[in-house]
Amino acid sequence: MEEQTRIASDSKTSRRDFLDLLLGATILGWLASIAYPVIRYLKPLPQSGTTGPTRLTREETAKLEQNKFVIVPVSGQRVIVLQSQDQKLLAFSAKCTHEGCTVSYLPGQSIIWCPCHDGRYDLNGRVLSGPPPQPLPEYAVQRQPDGGIVISEGRA
Amino acid sequence: MRTIPIIVGILLILAATFAAEQSSAGTSPELAAMLDAKDKDGKPIITQEQRTYFNGLNDNLKELLNQVVQKKVVTRPEHLGLLLALQLRPQKMELVLQNNCILCHSDSETQSSEDLFTLGSDSHHSPPSHMNLKEIVEDTHFRRGLSCAGCHGGDPTAAFGHAFVKEWPESGRQANREWIVQFCARCHSDPTFMHQFNPALPTDQLAKFKSSPHGLTLLEKHDSRAPQCISCHGVHGIRPAKDPQSKVYAQRVPETCGACHANATTMAGFTRADGSPLPTTQLAEYRTSVHGRALLERGDLGAPACNTCHGNHAASPPGVAGVSRSCSLCHSANASLFDGSKHKQAFDSHNWPECGKCHGDHAIAKTHDSMLSSAPGALCGDCHRQYAKDDPKCIPTADYFHQTITRMDEAQTRFGAISEKLAAKGLDVEPINNQLTDLTDNLKKSRTYVHSFSRDTFQQVALPGEEAIQRTDTLVDKAHEEYKYRQVGLAASIALIGFLILAIYLKLRQLEK
Amino acid sequence: MGWYYLGGITMFFFIVQVVTGVLLLMYFQPGEATAYESIRFLTTKVPFGWLIRSVHSWSAHLMIISLVLHMFSTMMLKAYRPPRELTWVSGYILFLLTLGFGFSGYLLPWNKLAFFATTVGTNIVRSVPLIGDWLLQVLRGGQDVTINTLYRFFAAHVVILPLAFVGVISLHLLFIQRQGMALPISAKVAPRGMKFFPSFALRDVLLWLACLMLLVTLAVFLPYGPGIPGMDWELGSKADAMAPAYAGIKPEWYFLWEYQLLKEFPPHFFGLEGPQVCLLLITVLLAIWAIIPWLDQRARRDKPSPAFSDFGWAAILFLTYLTLMGWDIGASGPGNDLALVHRSARVCASWTLVAGAVVIAIRYWRFEHRWFVLTGAALLQMALHGFVGVSYLLAGVISVVIAAIAITASYFMRSRADEKGGI
Repeated sequence: MEEQTRIASDSKTSRRDFLDLLLGATILGWLASIAYPVIRYLKPLPQSGTTGPTRLTREETAKLEQNKFVIVPVSGQRVIVLQSQDQKLLAFSAKCTHEGCTVSYLPGQSIIWCPCHDGRYDLNGRVLSGPPPQPLPEYAVQRQPDGGIVISEGRA
Repeated sequence: MRTIPIIVGILLILAATFAAEQSSAGTSPELAAMLDAKDKDGKPIITQEQRTYFNGLNDNLKELLNQVVQKKVVTRPEHLGLLLALQLRPQKMELVLQNNCILCHSDSETQSSEDLFTLGSDSHHSPPSHMNLKEIVEDTHFRRGLSCAGCHGGDPTAAFGHAFVKEWPESGRQANREWIVQFCARCHSDPTFMHQFNPALPTDQLAKFKSSPHGLTLLEKHDSRAPQCISCHGVHGIRPAKDPQSKVYAQRVPETCGACHANATTMAGFTRADGSPLPTTQLAEYRTSVHGRALLERGDLGAPACNTCHGNHAASPPGVAGVSRSCSLCHSANASLFDGSKHKQAFDSHNWPECGKCHGDHAIAKTHDSMLSSAPGALCGDCHRQYAKDDPKCIPTADYFHQTITRMDEAQTRFGAISEKLAAKGLDVEPINNQLTDLTDNLKKSRTYVHSFSRDTFQQVALPGEEAIQRTDTLVDKAHEEYKYRQVGLAASIALIGFLILAIYLKLRQLEK
Repeated sequence: MGWYYLGGITMFFFIVQVVTGVLLLMYFQPGEATAYESIRFLTTKVPFGWLIRSVHSWSAHLMIISLVLHMFSTMMLKAYRPPRELTWVSGYILFLLTLGFGFSGYLLPWNKLAFFATTVGTNIVRSVPLIGDWLLQVLRGGQDVTINTLYRFFAAHVVILPLAFVGVISLHLLFIQRQGMALPISAKVAPRGMKFFPSFALRDVLLWLACLMLLVTLAVFLPYGPGIPGMDWELGSKADAMAPAYAGIKPEWYFLWEYQLLKEFPPHFFGLEGPQVCLLLITVLLAIWAIIPWLDQRARRDKPSPAFSDFGWAAILFLTYLTLMGWDIGASGPGNDLALVHRSARVCASWTLVAGAVVIAIRYWRFEHRWFVLTGAALLQMALHGFVGVSYLLAGVISVVIAAIAITASYFMRSRADEKGGI
């Protein structure tokens, strides 16, 4: 009789211990499942400061040096960054206002050219000839002291 | 006490100013009587609207109105009402009030119905229809000071002046229209004269016209069915080409040309150089074409109208060898690629028009990638079987073009749909969309580079396009993986919460026991 | 008894808001060139940034839902009876603060939708007599909504409102802790006491965990909300003051009723401006809502007060009808604007009338209430407006007058019956 009670109480204790263990483990697991995203969230990104102005990567800068222009994405929009003959940096939306083709820069003639229907813009973004109905929106572009080039929305 | 004289003085000055104001803006008794005149039923003849317009006129115009009433050029309230109903802006009203031709010819008492200018909406110029006053005052010549007398002669300030200018043929004007071009050219071919009005306006229209089929028909064959200046530009109520209501505004050009060219009766008897009759289906074809739809339906003013390819006054646009070369004005890349291709020689040897041979002329349909296939019924295949005897090199190239472009096009559509779905799921699709624009660009370029008809040239843009497909594919896979990762993470965390709920529930039961 | 947990659930969502809010704060950069960009960066580039923002937005809406349910259940159970009047008032203040959180937080991503909604929303303040213009400028930090408005809303959202909220909620909890949970009037004897710990607390925790489950599931599967107008937080494009405002700018769903009520008022109303009258009406209604514990005399004496249950249901139906109309339910298909408005009113009235009938039936048979004057008046207004085509305001006036007559008549009849009964 006494034996039985002891066994019963023993099994009860062990069940309680097991439950506590289970409870502790799940609480820990749950906390971990919350902590993991938060820790990942808080760890700074390698190229932090991507908010605001877009900075040209090294390849893009090299391309700009070589071709006198480069097309870069700026918050989802394509932007043409070009270097005029007097070494001035300019940036415009690269989307032709006619049919939306991507424009390019013809350094020899100092014009921005859309190959689709031969639309031509001057270096203020204004339409020189061809079907485009509107000028190209301008972006602000700046060369920073360390040589980096940043582009941001809105006129310079 | 000293203030009283000051107040009286101020009042006097105010009264004087008020009186002066009254007299300067005043209306003469005759004019006032006319404004207040009532018809048989006692209703005012000058409507409230006209009255309001009159009240808004400046002093100068009111004075001019006083004068024309005093000079008995305007004698009846109905006539005055007609002028006020024009609702003209001040400068135009001034021009009208100084123009005795208009004042007299708009008075139904003094003019027979065929010489009368009215407000009617019928703008056709020839009698017995009335000339439309509203059209006249919108005329670009009228606005710049060239009014009736400028063409017809006479003295507009005199009460009656019908001394026509010597170039104006008093009879036979309708039968023989050759005089019109010379008449307009009196001014329009004179650079020094035209420079005063619009320095940017060219003065070579007559010279060009003489070289055009229209000019040749009119001036050399003396066929007055051929159009001259006023056929396209209108006569009274000529507007600049940039005015959307002008007959030569880009969107209205097809209709203007079609007035003759789409009319089988008018065009009867006219032939092409080879003697075949001129067709009259161009307008209908143009309307269905990619250009016609762009211009007329989408309102893309950059899209070509008739004159873009056929020239305005000359036979073809400036700097273009012939109408078949006018495509290069906009499609320059395609044209220069074609010029460097083998097809150039082949087409020339057959004496085919270059672009038109494959794309048509007036009914240019939107190009379709299936044109490139070598299958029967497709452009490349059919033409090559007929003329190039199935050159074993050409057919695989055509198939290569077709397959590559179809693949890119299909990828573009597919990725576009995927990108939208992924965006709705909250994933970052910016890199995908960047690659997709790259793909779209290269697809467009590939379609252009087909015109080199060379595998190597085509690959300059097709290979980057294929790479863009690869890159997009990788990014899409990554995005899908990310989404799966999120779902797995969610499942794991929900499972953990579930366990926790279960554990707490068991604990609670145990505690409450 | 399940209603007692709603307060705790609201509290849970508030805690989630604080935690995710602080996390968002670590990336958010208020400013013309950075506010939108930083949120965009956060949701696209930062690991789990999308999750934090999505949870914050979902939790905000769920918090308002549970708060509203909590408030109405308190109202129906008459838990505001003495000595708990101040608990009700503090809860009421928390409700207003929560609406403030929603309104100020909406602008912070600086996107187009928020910009225009805030322009329209803040414009209402102009109608406040005497100080309207001043208030508008204080709120906007200038004549128009500019980046200065964002700075102000940011300060309100992350400093002023949280401080106020924490203060008031401490009072609210203190009252509850001191006074315990209210018992329903029908409960004659206190039920077998449940120990706060572990019984009540652990049950709360269980519910909180279930809510968390719901929250993360919604946040992962619908990261931009359920796609209902007024409950949608897709970032879209950046705010641009120069861009033309587009048609159909609507506030968040919990402000829709107010938006619709403003629309029902004509521009001029008996020599006053329509919006002013509307604002006055809303203020009066909100004030009545705040002092209910003192108005409900029968409940103060622990007697059943079906009249105030009726008032609560009338309020719910009133808000539902306006919200449905604000959502343009039924306003699709062919027809001109006016026809669409009428059709929408008819469809919304049908739905609300059905809901009202169900409520009345349940109250009549299940709770044996015999007091339906206010619900009836609310339903009468809907019927007049939706089916007969009487203007919303006239329908409202007719219903209020009929309700007033009915109440007066029943009062006299009851007092006469009391006299006859000789009590």
